[in-house]
Amino acid sequence: MRARSVIFNAALVFAAIPLLVHAQGFTPTKPVEFVTHTGVGAGGDVLARYLANVMEKEKLLPVRMHVANKTGGGGQTAMAYLVEKAGDTHTISLYTGIWISNPLMLPEAKTTMKDLTSLVRLLLEPGLIVVKSDSPFRTFNDFIDEAKRNPGTLKQSGSLVGGRDWMLRVLLMKQTGANWAFIPFPVMGERLGALLGGHTNILLVDPQETGEHIRAGTLRVIVQIADNRLPPYPNVPTMKEAGFDVPNIPVVRGVVAPPGIPREAVAYWEGVFAKLVRTPAWRKYLEDNVLEDGFQRSAEQSKFFDEYAETMRGVMREGGIKIVR
Amino acid sequence: MEIFGHLLQGFGVAITPINLFWCFVGCFLGTVIGILPGIGPAATIAVLLPLTFKIEPTGAVIMLAGIYYGAKYGGSTTSILLNVPGESSSVVTCLDGYQMAKRGRGGPALGIAAIASFIAGTLGVIGLTLLAPPLAKFALAFSAPEYFALMSFGLAMVVLLAGESFVKALLGMLVGLWLAGMGIDLFTATSRFTFGSPDLLDGIDFVVVAIGVFALGEVLVNMESREGGQMLPVPKGLRNLLPTWQDLKDCRFAFLNGSVTGFIIGVLPGAGATIASFITYGIEKAVSRHPEKFGTGVPEGVAAPEAANNSDAGGALVPTLALGIPGSGTMAILLAAFILWGLKPGPFLFYDNPQFVWGLIASMYIGNVMLLVLNLPLVPVFAQILRLPSYMLFPGIFGISIVGVFSVSTSLFDVWMLAGFGLLGYMMRRLDYPAAPLILGFVLGDSVERSLRQSLMMSQGDLSILVSRPLSASMLILTALVLIVPLFRKANAWRLKAAG
Repeated sequence: MRARSVIFNAALVFAAIPLLVHAQGFTPTKPVEFVTHTGVGAGGDVLARYLANVMEKEKLLPVRMHVANKTGGGGQTAMAYLVEKAGDTHTISLYTGIWISNPLMLPEAKTTMKDLTSLVRLLLEPGLIVVKSDSPFRTFNDFIDEAKRNPGTLKQSGSLVGGRDWMLRVLLMKQTGANWAFIPFPVMGERLGALLGGHTNILLVDPQETGEHIRAGTLRVIVQIADNRLPPYPNVPTMKEAGFDVPNIPVVRGVVAPPGIPREAVAYWEGVFAKLVRTPAWRKYLEDNVLEDGFQRSAEQSKFFDEYAETMRGVMREGGIKIVR
Repeated sequence: MEIFGHLLQGFGVAITPINLFWCFVGCFLGTVIGILPGIGPAATIAVLLPLTFKIEPTGAVIMLAGIYYGAKYGGSTTSILLNVPGESSSVVTCLDGYQMAKRGRGGPALGIAAIASFIAGTLGVIGLTLLAPPLAKFALAFSAPEYFALMSFGLAMVVLLAGESFVKALLGMLVGLWLAGMGIDLFTATSRFTFGSPDLLDGIDFVVVAIGVFALGEVLVNMESREGGQMLPVPKGLRNLLPTWQDLKDCRFAFLNGSVTGFIIGVLPGAGATIASFITYGIEKAVSRHPEKFGTGVPEGVAAPEAANNSDAGGALVPTLALGIPGSGTMAILLAAFILWGLKPGPFLFYDNPQFVWGLIASMYIGNVMLLVLNLPLVPVFAQILRLPSYMLFPGIFGISIVGVFSVSTSLFDVWMLAGFGLLGYMMRRLDYPAAPLILGFVLGDSVERSLRQSLMMSQGDLSILVSRPLSASMLILTALVLIVPLFRKANAWRLKAAG
């Protein structure tokens, strides 16, 4: 009986795969709007346009996909736009971590991920901690030791309070008892400039942004924030290997849809992106930009949203940020 | 001498017909983008980026750079003719440019802007050619305390921007500072002055404030007057549409001042063309023999800021090319483009890709000549806009203002805010509040606050960091001078009055 049901279920699953991909009747019939909360030319926008380009080249969609920039409100404008479009199967949107974190900290950020439909998670950005080439810190442990000896005197060039680099600092300070300052600079150029000018001591970067500085020897990587050592940096330990047991808080990018869309549409989009992440173009994109494949389907991603929010709550409590939701 | 060899090699690259073509396309598009308010070079470059994959990278960068500096030529057109700042860096040009247009000298103002742009653009590229590596090091020496000192110096310019009443100017600046503080605070992850609205979480866009206060405010005031028909006088004859020799002679110092100041500030990644144009305008007024005439339509008031925002382009390329650190927002997009083309921006770019770098630099000399040739003949054409009767011109200004704002954010909320700032601009004009201090406060508010807090975090709360570093100390002394000297003048005037 049991054996039969397994076979039966397996048969069902196999039968369902093509159906899922072709989504039991749902296929887009008019151009699809691909929303991003970033302005033209910013990271999210570039990725959105790249994805739309791949979709077209690989003929993954029967219709055209055009990028719509709904900027403002730290992602809230785009999120509210999606809520307004409830039930619309022809609108999807790229998200990043601030869609999860901002509603936790900002009372005005009323729309949360729970109000939207999870589609797929696409990628995770690993990180590197770098120092200037003439820095006395050969390893990350050197830095932590110094930060314990002289608390508060060392400085980190940072993005913003609540960002990934800030969260990692909170976790590391808690774990090691060390203490150093976090100085926010809004754009990468200023962060890097402060480090290269010797005004700050460490900086967390995306591998792609500073690859050339590392190659030129003006910057040195002391530790990497990734599950496994990244191919371009085989000799640099990961955080865990260096002896720091902190979660790798990822910078995440994925796709969500307006609330209340039918299950077939969710399955359709899952299918399209599952095909996309297997294309050579996408593999090359990940490799060129030193990104990790973070593909997850809808249900898995929903669970990820909850876990991510929980981790953030913990870090924010630790770092003294008021949690509003 | 090695540099000249490289530059010659660069001209060899830039002068090929295909690269000349891309240079022209870039300059032309840039001029158009500059004239249209709202959409700026950053967004244009980003949109065109995917199309450049089919072109050879050197040609592509020549075109994209052309858009960047070309937009600065075009930006002055609407500032002068309509009081609508075409780009954020041409707000200051409105002050005297529009007044010149009102007095029938719109043509000469446009001409001076084009000539100032040409001179400063070229000087900026010369600076880039000769001084890139040492200046890149200078840019790195600048950190939070130095930025704070520079921004304070900028804010002190309010003294010079004030009209009759210093108190009114100060109030305007404080409102500007307050508006700049809206949105998410980087340092505490809390929101400020959003009134519970998510639309204000990212703060207010510069374009909304500038176009509202300048353009709409002006139109609303003008609509009150009953006289229909022609709005501004436009003299007949080509000679009256171009600047006179005397105008150019008056502007000699302004050209130089704008070029040098704009270039140096342009090199700094944390300060841009808008700040540069305010500071040069202030310097120009401070050293002028007739400071009281500024704001009533003097050619120097157009030449200085226009020069500043054009030499900024050469400056912004210094850290971008020499260090791989973007010198401005647009440069950040250009750097992303380098990576997509398979180039590696960073300290090695000059050595790895000399053809590319020097081709680009050489193309900028050519591009500036092209822009001058392109823009000067347009002057008489554009000046004709002022002949339009007000029942056509006013709705037209409303139209391009709304489209300009909407094109930046595609947000109706911003259009309503534009209306709000238009009313504010109207009231300020009726009550004799100058608009420039408000814009100054708004532009600098964010950076002045941020750099102060960064400095204090670096020094663990010790204020002496601001004065113990030579660069920041000297700039703060200059700031103090700017604030104190007019007081002495005033005191002197009172004494004379009392005595006489």
